[in-house]
Amino acid sequence: MSIARQFVRQFSSTGVVGKPGYSTVEPVHHLVNIRKAALKPKYQGLLIPKDDIRSVGFKPTEIDQDRVAEYYQNTLKSDLLLHNYEHGAQVIEGEKKRSWGTDSPYKLYRNLKKAKRVGRATRDIHPIKHDNVPQLESIYIQSYNKWALEESWLNISTRLQLSQITNVKAKQIYAKANILPWRLREGKPCGAKVEIKGIDMSQFITTLTELVLPRIRTFKGIKNTSGDSNGNITFGLDPDNLKYFPEIESFQDLFPNLNGVHITFKTTARTDEQARTLLSALGLPFYDPN
Amino acid sequence: MFKTIWGSDKAVASVAATSKIFIRGKQKAAMTPSTQRIVNQLSALSASRKQPKLLSLCNEDLIKNRTITNAWNVYKRKLFQKRDEQFEKQYNSIKNAMEDLKQTSPELFELANAKEQKRFPLEMRIPTDFPPNQPWVYNYAPKK
Repeated sequence: MSIARQFVRQFSSTGVVGKPGYSTVEPVHHLVNIRKAALKPKYQGLLIPKDDIRSVGFKPTEIDQDRVAEYYQNTLKSDLLLHNYEHGAQVIEGEKKRSWGTDSPYKLYRNLKKAKRVGRATRDIHPIKHDNVPQLESIYIQSYNKWALEESWLNISTRLQLSQITNVKAKQIYAKANILPWRLREGKPCGAKVEIKGIDMSQFITTLTELVLPRIRTFKGIKNTSGDSNGNITFGLDPDNLKYFPEIESFQDLFPNLNGVHITFKTTARTDEQARTLLSALGLPFYDPN
Repeated sequence: MFKTIWGSDKAVASVAATSKIFIRGKQKAAMTPSTQRIVNQLSALSASRKQPKLLSLCNEDLIKNRTITNAWNVYKRKLFQKRDEQFEKQYNSIKNAMEDLKQTSPELFELANAKEQKRFPLEMRIPTDFPPNQPWVYNYAPKK
């Protein structure tokens, strides 16, 4: 914005304003920080989305027929929809954080009160319809290695073991607390974790239900009490059972020390019962612990 | 000078006989088998030399790839849409049937809506590409 030349200068304006080429608007350049190095032509390739074949991060996704996913879509989903149908079901509200009240100005902006009973807020439970039929989201596998706390190189084998059975590179987990009797020290590597999705998840499920679990003699199934009440079911495998995975079985001399694993099935089901029904359909047995 | 030393095999043999082979870095003892195993495990985990080379496609190939990918995406979208519609129809028909049942026979409606612990039978397997010769045992009875 440039102000037209004023012939008579008033006390309210300065002399500079009247001069040509002067803008009263503050310059807006450099308000947004631009990392010029990132604009280099060298880095233009990084802007290509990863599903484009020209991208450096391109990874072909549909390389294989997904048996488990097809089975779910073609057979299980309609069965689960029928089973989980409840006539006239309403949304069950979860516990939410509560207001302290509005009778005092001090209460208005106070942090919300904890939810009743559970303490933390819980999600609503919607009735199962055609668009929210429970399905398996991912499998989270975690292994704790207490020997790695003293000799960190012992963790390498734990990580490799998880990577071998899942086909995904495992991440290292670190101790979060200092607990002297357990020799825990913050920041020490003490195990590995991996989250698998898609084709890797399907492959893992078929290996587990067709090759591993049937060969474990003492295996009765997953406990009916297992679950975090949010539709995620966990069970554990002992180090002895882990050697039934074909990837480990063939190379047993390479893995002298095996670690037990915790396997968590993350589902979109909102209750554990729905999740158990879904998992039983995928070939995982359940039993009542007594 | 370099040329004269490495010029003939004779010269090489004489050099090797007189001087020690140069190895950069500190001399280390040979690794024990267990250490070697750990090193191998670490190298199996590390990302080096595992990334395949970036494909360099010519313009024509790129257009081909893009066309096929787009066609595949359209195909999938149509498939998913059809599938979703099918499930919606199923849901609506379940709902209508239940409504009907509620009007005609309240006892049967109660039974149909009874809560039960549902477990799929273990014998129900995920289909395979190469199923067994005898696909279904009609007079099957689970072992007791």
